[in-house]
Amino acid sequence: MFYALTTSQLMSQTRLWRSVHELRHQIFVEEMGWQDLARSDGLEIDEFDHDEAIHHLVVRNGELAGYQRMLPTTRPHLLTHVLTDLYEGVSPTGPDIYELTRYAVAPAYRDGRRGVSTVGTELIAGFVEWGLAIGVDKVIIEFEPMWVLRALQLHFLATPLGYQRTYGRQQVVATMLQFNRETLETVRRRRNHFQPVLTHLASEENEFRLAS
Amino acid sequence: MNQFDETLNYIDRIQKAPTTEQVCLELLSVTEKFGLNALLAGTVPDPNTPLAEQKKHVLLCGWPVGWLDRYVQKNYVDRDPVVVRMKKSPGSFKWGEANELSKSDPVSQEVIGDAGCYDLRDGFAFPLYTLDGTPVVVSLGGPAFESSEENLSMIALVSTYAVGRGLQLSQKCRANDKRKALTERETECLRWAAVGKSEWEISQILGISEHTSEKHLLNAKAKLGAANRVHAVAEAIRLGYIS
Repeated sequence: MFYALTTSQLMSQTRLWRSVHELRHQIFVEEMGWQDLARSDGLEIDEFDHDEAIHHLVVRNGELAGYQRMLPTTRPHLLTHVLTDLYEGVSPTGPDIYELTRYAVAPAYRDGRRGVSTVGTELIAGFVEWGLAIGVDKVIIEFEPMWVLRALQLHFLATPLGYQRTYGRQQVVATMLQFNRETLETVRRRRNHFQPVLTHLASEENEFRLAS
Repeated sequence: MNQFDETLNYIDRIQKAPTTEQVCLELLSVTEKFGLNALLAGTVPDPNTPLAEQKKHVLLCGWPVGWLDRYVQKNYVDRDPVVVRMKKSPGSFKWGEANELSKSDPVSQEVIGDAGCYDLRDGFAFPLYTLDGTPVVVSLGGPAFESSEENLSMIALVSTYAVGRGLQLSQKCRANDKRKALTERETECLRWAAVGKSEWEISQILGISEHTSEKHLLNAKAKLGAANRVHAVAEAIRLGYIS
């Protein structure tokens, strides 16, 4: 199940809200070693979890399996206010561009060594579907360069926004990915799953009760 | 134009290249400036892959004429220091490091010597990983090369776009190959449809029932992945079934 929730919708589901911030702490602080984000309560929360952020969640068996956060580029976001050395010239902004941050797949739901898991591809199918439904067709992502190839394989039109930089042990390159129906179809073919993944909150409150 | 805009230009040209040969030429036009005038990108065949199968692993080939044939014919892939080094650990490396690792293997030394005859003396290589985790090796070389870390990461980024475009083009090719071939009757019906004949007219010309001619046309349309009859005719022309 894939959900797109506003911050206030997420906050009204206390246990789910907690799982989101715990997962983020686990992945980004403990696993990737981004110590700036560390917090003693084990919940990773920052100033971008504001009321216009959209939280994408993949839930499996009542458990949080995957997560990503979409930030509007019409107000401060990571590229413009934190990762400023990742773009050259002017960073692209607009109502049709969101920034995808904190992409995370829970360890139990990862497959293989270097392949993308089914939870991972559900997150991808999810943001493409979500974007196309609301008139967003571009996302900015700061990711490892190896994702560029995967994005191209899924028929995103990719454009680098700057040079790649090294953060800790990781290489990161800011990239804009543009998508359309063809991208969605390619992602669906890849997953061998052709039904929409985006579930609307109202009809799915039961799923959340299970989780809480 | 600053260097970043220049990089964007190359990437744009690569993403618009209509064939893998063109992708390769565009990429070489970038790397040549750094003394890298030859390149190969492909998946690594398993050890003991039959020689005839090995070339299918090549995605982009910008090697000197004759070198790929010789490389395959001599079954160098399993002992190529670059491939050996790549299998050991991920990340990019210079050919020199790989050669150092294979110093004690006489066959590897032969590969290096032979490559030298094609003016492939120095270069660098790195793996990329596809969606299902398959590594694609990109190896770039030339008579001599000199480059800063910054340029190397720019070359690696542009190469990633080239391999991505190469994969898109080869996927398209495979999708076309998977299409079932048209039968003689289906082709015949399309040929008449192309000159404006109706199903009834086609049935009279071919001496079959109207229902049968309709069925042939529907099958042809499905096999060609066409949205309607006009599209089916266009696809059949493009694929050379009718002219």
